[in-house]
Amino acid sequence: MKCYICAEEGKSTDAVAMCIVCGMGLCMDHAIRHETELWTGGYPFPAEKIEETLPRILCKYCAMALKKGKPKGD
Amino acid sequence: MASVMKRSLAELIGTFILVFFGTGAAIITLMISKGQTPPNSFNIGIGALGGLGDWLAIGLAFGLAITACIYAFGKISGCHINPAVTLALWAVKKFPSRDVAPYILAQVIGATLASFTLAFILGMGAVNTGGLGATAPFAGIGYVQAILAEAIGTFILMLAIMGVAVDREAPPGFAGLIIGLTVAGVITTLGNITGASINPARTFGPYLGDLLLGGSNLWIYFPIYLIGPIAGAIMAAFLYNYLSEETG
Repeated sequence: MKCYICAEEGKSTDAVAMCIVCGMGLCMDHAIRHETELWTGGYPFPAEKIEETLPRILCKYCAMALKKGKPKGD
Repeated sequence: MASVMKRSLAELIGTFILVFFGTGAAIITLMISKGQTPPNSFNIGIGALGGLGDWLAIGLAFGLAITACIYAFGKISGCHINPAVTLALWAVKKFPSRDVAPYILAQVIGATLASFTLAFILGMGAVNTGGLGATAPFAGIGYVQAILAEAIGTFILMLAIMGVAVDREAPPGFAGLIIGLTVAGVITTLGNITGASINPARTFGPYLGDLLLGGSNLWIYFPIYLIGPIAGAIMAAFLYNYLSEETG
């Protein structure tokens, strides 16, 4: 699979990952690694953020959409 | 995790909301039915107008306030808003010892503030007619019987908490609704037996308010609302652990 964004720019680069949202092939330069926070607990225990995060690979379009779609303050 | 200060504040506010709306509904029911002639000594006014429906309404006021608090504060403090629940979770090693005292103190302060706020808003009628929603055994209900009734009521509440929230297999998102409705159901039945406290803090606030504002002194009954709920909740927590271990 080739990187879609490189292809848009007229280049041909092998993809190293896929966007988890849209499935776009991405090279190392265009893959965005997003760390999702993980929480444990919740009623009837206080919730606690754990050290580990869940990585998600996103393309620049989905990363932007995710950022815009987040509630205010996040 | 939020600091113990923030978590205790969440417990204080949660217990305030619980007592304000719950005992507020009981006080207002008594104020509305003032002047009615109760048909017998087992009827103190709650039930004079709507029978068991009066108790269901009071139960729902408590239950829906609890539901709102669980969804609002559940992730912050765990939203116990009940010393019996805090002690039962501690007893089965699900809650740290160092947090027990600040939680219970916050719950008691929240309940007391709610009782004084109700007296301030509704006036002395809330104390003289409504008794600030204080609980006491009804006519013909003895001390031991009242402790047993409170223990059974808190037992089913704690069993629901264990099954719908503590258990890792519990479906997420339902705890607030189910636990609120469980409390409403318990109050509908136990209301006209013991007043259906199932929460020592919920009884402490009105008792202290009544004492300091010139209402009835009911402290002789306080052990009922201390022993019954705590014993019932602890038994439920241990029983649930035992039964769930058996089923794997």
